[in-house]
Amino acid sequence: MTDDHEPQVSAEDGGPPDPGPDPGTGWTPAGQQHDNRHFVSDYFRMERWEIPPPAGSDAPPAFGGRAPVDAHLRNAAGGLRTGGLLTVVDSLGGFTSGIAVLPEWIVTTSIMASVHRLDHRGPLVLTSRVLRRGRTAVVTAIDAVDEGDGNAPVAHVVMTCAVLDPGAMDLGFHRPFSLPMLEPDPAAPVPEEFFRIRPGTGPVTRLDLADHLRNPWGILHGGAVAVLADVAACRAAEGDGPDGPDTWSAADTVLHYLRPVKVGPVEARCQVLGGRGNRRLVRVAVHDVGAEDRLVTLGTVTVVGA
Amino acid sequence: MADAGYPPADHILADLGLDTEVSTLTSARVRIRATPEVAGADGGVRAGVLATIVDVVGGAVAVRSVLPDWMATADLTLQMAGPAAGPWVEARATILRRGRTTLVVEALVHNVGDDGADVGGPVGWASMTFTILPRRGDRPSLAVPEEPPVRWAFEGRGLDRPVVEALAVGLVDAAAGQVSMPVRPYSANSFGAVQGGVMALLAEVAGGQALGAARGDPVVVTDLQVAYLALGRVGPIVSRARVLPAGPDGLPRSAVVELVDAGLEDGGRLATLVTVGTSPVGDAVTPGGPDWSR
Repeated sequence: MTDDHEPQVSAEDGGPPDPGPDPGTGWTPAGQQHDNRHFVSDYFRMERWEIPPPAGSDAPPAFGGRAPVDAHLRNAAGGLRTGGLLTVVDSLGGFTSGIAVLPEWIVTTSIMASVHRLDHRGPLVLTSRVLRRGRTAVVTAIDAVDEGDGNAPVAHVVMTCAVLDPGAMDLGFHRPFSLPMLEPDPAAPVPEEFFRIRPGTGPVTRLDLADHLRNPWGILHGGAVAVLADVAACRAAEGDGPDGPDTWSAADTVLHYLRPVKVGPVEARCQVLGGRGNRRLVRVAVHDVGAEDRLVTLGTVTVVGA
Repeated sequence: MADAGYPPADHILADLGLDTEVSTLTSARVRIRATPEVAGADGGVRAGVLATIVDVVGGAVAVRSVLPDWMATADLTLQMAGPAAGPWVEARATILRRGRTTLVVEALVHNVGDDGADVGGPVGWASMTFTILPRRGDRPSLAVPEEPPVRWAFEGRGLDRPVVEALAVGLVDAAAGQVSMPVRPYSANSFGAVQGGVMALLAEVAGGQALGAARGDPVVVTDLQVAYLALGRVGPIVSRARVLPAGPDGLPRSAVVELVDAGLEDGGRLATLVTVGTSPVGDAVTPGGPDWSR
């Protein structure tokens, strides 16, 4: 489950609260827009804006996003790490889906991502549009291009969200919605540190659940699961043997968010299923160890060696 | 999904010779023989045919969990790590989660010998999400024969020509990934629309043609990410492909394929969206390693 598709605090409400330092990392993102409720998406500094439908159309709005490719977020191939890319995709696609079903809201249930470029100049520009709006689910397509490289296509993602009763969640957005990009922060930690992923090698990788990694539903952010899957799959592929590639980067990813992560720690357990050329298919099973070790997310990550 | 009398004798599922066993309330398997008629560019069973048996095995294991309601496939992914070369190819499915509105299934694809033993580890991974459709008064419950373990086989005439020909898939423009297929009872599901796996097969053909033309070399389709948006009921189902640009090796490997039910008014309706991933036919295959994921 995900996500950070929480409403923004309006000016009428007195503006966003003072976030204070995050006890999980000791790091607070730079800029004026920070809100403790979306620590994870703020970490990637994505700008977002609403694209209203044509006049007279009853189609839901599309949304645009622009995500910088900061140095500490780059993969071995030089582009935005796929776990990070999927976090901003999840944020934008989830928000698109949520707006489409107001006054209800959504949680992400699956992501199918084809990532065909791993070397990005950045920033990446994303466009999210609803493909199908059903009573119980919303299907959204998100395309990402590299604005710094002539808008070269980077990724195509289809995500599905389940429609839920938002309960007491405040869904009072300013429309058309927009959120500026946060300022770069030279003190921002690397993803492994921010996401509390323990150092290590091999087929099992562990993440310690911290409050700054929870979404407004109170559960582990879906982007954090994607980053964990990215790191875990690359570590698993490193066991490919002494003649294998020196470095691995995550590319195509499929994730099914089956159950919420509430307790932690969270463990990604991998099996390298094999592959062709310099690509390996890695099955990733994510378990909430503290919740009777239940399976919370299952999917695959294709990693590319260099 | 199967109901009484489905599939008929003259049907793609019958001609594929599917041998199905529902082992428990949460697990099932479907096996076919790897024949030249269903082979892809690498000699293994082509991805679209594998998607078809994955869809069937997913449905077979899921149906008992949704009764008395119905279900429809919402999305399907298939990723092949190596060739499904047989002699038999088996998809083994397990229910991961049954929720109020959806059900998620995982399937692993194995090569199996004539002696019934596995040939190496899994060579492919698949997943499906089924949308649970509340039973309506005018719709009967699905016919499920008996409690597991239960086994059955679809026995048709068999394929005497390539599966793509049997489905009457016509190539319109290879470089544009344009193919066309009529909607016929031969390829229909129990709703009368094109069976979900067949839609994936159509996209596999379209994407493979477009990418082969763009690269100048034949490719093997290894990955399918399928989102089912609407039923393909009228036909013909036509495709258009968008080849995604080259990766670091300078050659494209993926395409986004749209399958449109062109028989509907207003220029047709997008029925299925598929991302097709490929590898060069000559790429070396590396086997998998031990399983730490259970």
